[in-house]
Amino acid sequence: MVRHFARLAEKNHHVDRAIYPLGSCTMKYNPRVNEDVAALEGLAGVHPEVEGEYAQGAIAMMYHLGRFLAEISGMDAVSLQPPAGASGELVGMLMVRAYHADRGDQRKTVIVPDSAHGTNPASVALAGYCTMEVASGPDGRIDVDELRREVDGDTAAVMITNPNTLGVFETRIQEIIDVVHEAGALAYLDGANLNASLGIARSGDAGFDIMHFNLHKTFSAPHGGGGPGSGPVGVKAHLTKYLPYPLASRDEAKAEGYEYFMDYDRPKSIGKVHAVYGNFLVMAKAYAYILTLGPEGLRRVAENAVLNANYLQALLEPHYELPYKGYCQHEFVLSATRQKEEHGVRALDIAKRLLDYGVHAPTIYFPLIVKEALMIEPTETESRESLDRFAEAMIAIARESEETPELVTGAPTSTPVGRMDEACAARELDVCSWDGDREE
Amino acid sequence: MPYVPNTERDREEMLAAIGASSIDELFADVPADLRADERIDIPGPLAELELVRHMRKLAAMNRTGEGVVSFLGGGVYDCVTPAAVGHVTGMPQFFTAYTPYQAEASQGTLQSIYEFQSLVARLTGLPAANASMYDGASAAAEACLMAAGIKRKKKILVSATTNPALRAVTKTYLGSSEIEIVELPTDGGATDLEALREGLPGAAAVVVQHPNFFGLLEPVDEIGRLVGESEALLIASVDPVSLAVLKSPAEYGAEIAVGEGQCLGSPVAFGGPLLGFMATTERHLRRLPGRIIGGADDCDGRRGYVMTLQTREQHIRREKATSNICTNEGLVALGATVYLSLLGKDGLRELAMQLGSKARYAADALAGVPGVSLRFARPFFREFVVELPADASWVKCELSKIGIWPGLKCSCYYDGMDNCLLVTVSERHTRDDIDSLASGLEAILSTGGQS
Repeated sequence: MVRHFARLAEKNHHVDRAIYPLGSCTMKYNPRVNEDVAALEGLAGVHPEVEGEYAQGAIAMMYHLGRFLAEISGMDAVSLQPPAGASGELVGMLMVRAYHADRGDQRKTVIVPDSAHGTNPASVALAGYCTMEVASGPDGRIDVDELRREVDGDTAAVMITNPNTLGVFETRIQEIIDVVHEAGALAYLDGANLNASLGIARSGDAGFDIMHFNLHKTFSAPHGGGGPGSGPVGVKAHLTKYLPYPLASRDEAKAEGYEYFMDYDRPKSIGKVHAVYGNFLVMAKAYAYILTLGPEGLRRVAENAVLNANYLQALLEPHYELPYKGYCQHEFVLSATRQKEEHGVRALDIAKRLLDYGVHAPTIYFPLIVKEALMIEPTETESRESLDRFAEAMIAIARESEETPELVTGAPTSTPVGRMDEACAARELDVCSWDGDREE
Repeated sequence: MPYVPNTERDREEMLAAIGASSIDELFADVPADLRADERIDIPGPLAELELVRHMRKLAAMNRTGEGVVSFLGGGVYDCVTPAAVGHVTGMPQFFTAYTPYQAEASQGTLQSIYEFQSLVARLTGLPAANASMYDGASAAAEACLMAAGIKRKKKILVSATTNPALRAVTKTYLGSSEIEIVELPTDGGATDLEALREGLPGAAAVVVQHPNFFGLLEPVDEIGRLVGESEALLIASVDPVSLAVLKSPAEYGAEIAVGEGQCLGSPVAFGGPLLGFMATTERHLRRLPGRIIGGADDCDGRRGYVMTLQTREQHIRREKATSNICTNEGLVALGATVYLSLLGKDGLRELAMQLGSKARYAADALAGVPGVSLRFARPFFREFVVELPADASWVKCELSKIGIWPGLKCSCYYDGMDNCLLVTVSERHTRDDIDSLASGLEAILSTGGQS
């Protein structure tokens, strides 16, 4: 049995093996000590229904992690309950609803830039709002004039990713937030790209009312091939009452051993989004990570993430089209339009060919506003040598696209399977028919 | 500096390659008045040894099931997990990978999830399962949204015997929609069939849990028949282990099955990560939320796996997606796949039989204590409710002094159950453990205490 799974494991690319530069996914090294401490019996073995006095360490950890995240982001309070980023977005949107409902204000739309992650409009819809898209300007940033035209008394909130998915910082962010606030709407930050801002700028200081974090991106908890994640939500003081219940809290007036408690007495709360308290063991890893780095270390994370991205961008700019020029933040987006138009090589082909070079592909065809997009986020845990190797592969593929394009369009050839026929998979569905046979 | 491999010299050379004079220059787009000039006020840095000591100290402030005899359950179960499960999920090839966006380099993850889906399908009897949900509660909530979409109706009946967390999360998910949730009352610890019958007209779906929150078996044949005669769709929330000995949801007519898979080899972990699973009929497959892995051939006809039907999902369909879920509980699903594979059909059946017989033994032992009785007369699995001749809080407190956690206070979730405890057995329990609960309870009650 172990052999079966060990063989399956061999068929995976993973960040321990080589760079995994998926844009907006922040595939950084997963520190092993975090895995070890999260596995401590005193954490992994605590039943959620024990009396509070028997879970003081667990609740204290949650309370302090919430405080750390609030301090890092400039928010006032944080709920750790959402088990993933999209769940955090839903919580955020439901709090927007509750806020307006309390004011007797029936607003209908949420504005989302056209460069946003797909989860944003999906979460907006789940919360019962209509999405309105705001187009990006020629510099890849939100067009503030366009935003001004769109925002009105029907706007409940604006969801912004900053730095955005093009890897550029919204330089006019305060003006944007002012526009939002003047219309009586709330400003929501999608924290998927927080890695670029740790210790550099705090979203709360810029005026954001709500944001979510991704502990499995920014704070080094492993992604696990698709979860478990953790998507805490931070809010400013005027929205604290709407956070999901229960909230890890502290009453310093109580005796030691009883001071931390899960606060259920939250009548204005939007409710629960997780069966218990959220993904506790993921929180433990993020908590350990923050303590290991400390304030200076977190800042160094952002600095080196941005340095690594700019270095790669500089190496690749001569070989691929770079639609948005200038320094990037933690990620940047190339376009393969030149390769496509001149040699018939698409972004998809380049991604597949990268697999033959033993590295993972960037995010492709996203953000939607860039044709043949290749969205690259190296993260700070890649060494210069690793970045050089990735750049060499990308440059070699640019050359192959010119000289031997069939090599690229026929890739990959060195992976356990060749290019998969996804269209056929959707036509001839087979989703659950494994018969239990594991003969190799 | 931890986890940043570049040296000072690397940084200088990289800056030169970029053409920037300093790292600060790279942040020129961040407006000056937004720059955090003050150091953020958090502790650290801690050296690895300091961190481990600190975490051990925190861990020591908690009490686990070790050293006590715990009968806590209610949705999160302290199972015995073969060591191989953790070693497989601990393989970096699995845990340091991302969502399998590049199928050719992710066949390990893809095949393991496909196996997970197949196992869920086999357990539930429903042929189309997805790659996992956050937990059983959100799986049920998403099932309600799915059913409302299929039936184009705005009423969902949810039995009061479902897990309170399931109902709370469902209420949150449906809170901003026009869907009305009608809670079906209980009758003898199970869903009130008369109320069900009355509620069915106009309903999109009915949610029942089997075994229910009290551990009781629901009259699922009758429920399935009633729902089948209506236009509504039956959503069954099930305990996957119980399915080794109970009828599958498909057999009593459920069109969507959901459940909590934590009990398949995951630690209790203060309630997270958990593992939601979800399966449906072929007819509703395209309505499923979240990732679905499908079999496919590569360009040379070799068998492999891909993420399929992605046009349902948020990254393609955006606001029209079937759900906003993106990251799910992949690694926990892998753990459950390993766990189920190690136990096998016979092993799972033996486990289920053991939970059934231990629960029966414990119930008999407790009912033999003077003044104590079983609250409900229905058959049960894994857990059951006892009625005490004293306040459950007091009993719980007294028993904990002698190292026994007798179960959950039902009064936390239900009115009129102040003297009731939900007692959960585990495969960990020995006969002595269960006997000590009965004798401890008898001793405490005989001291008089409160009434």
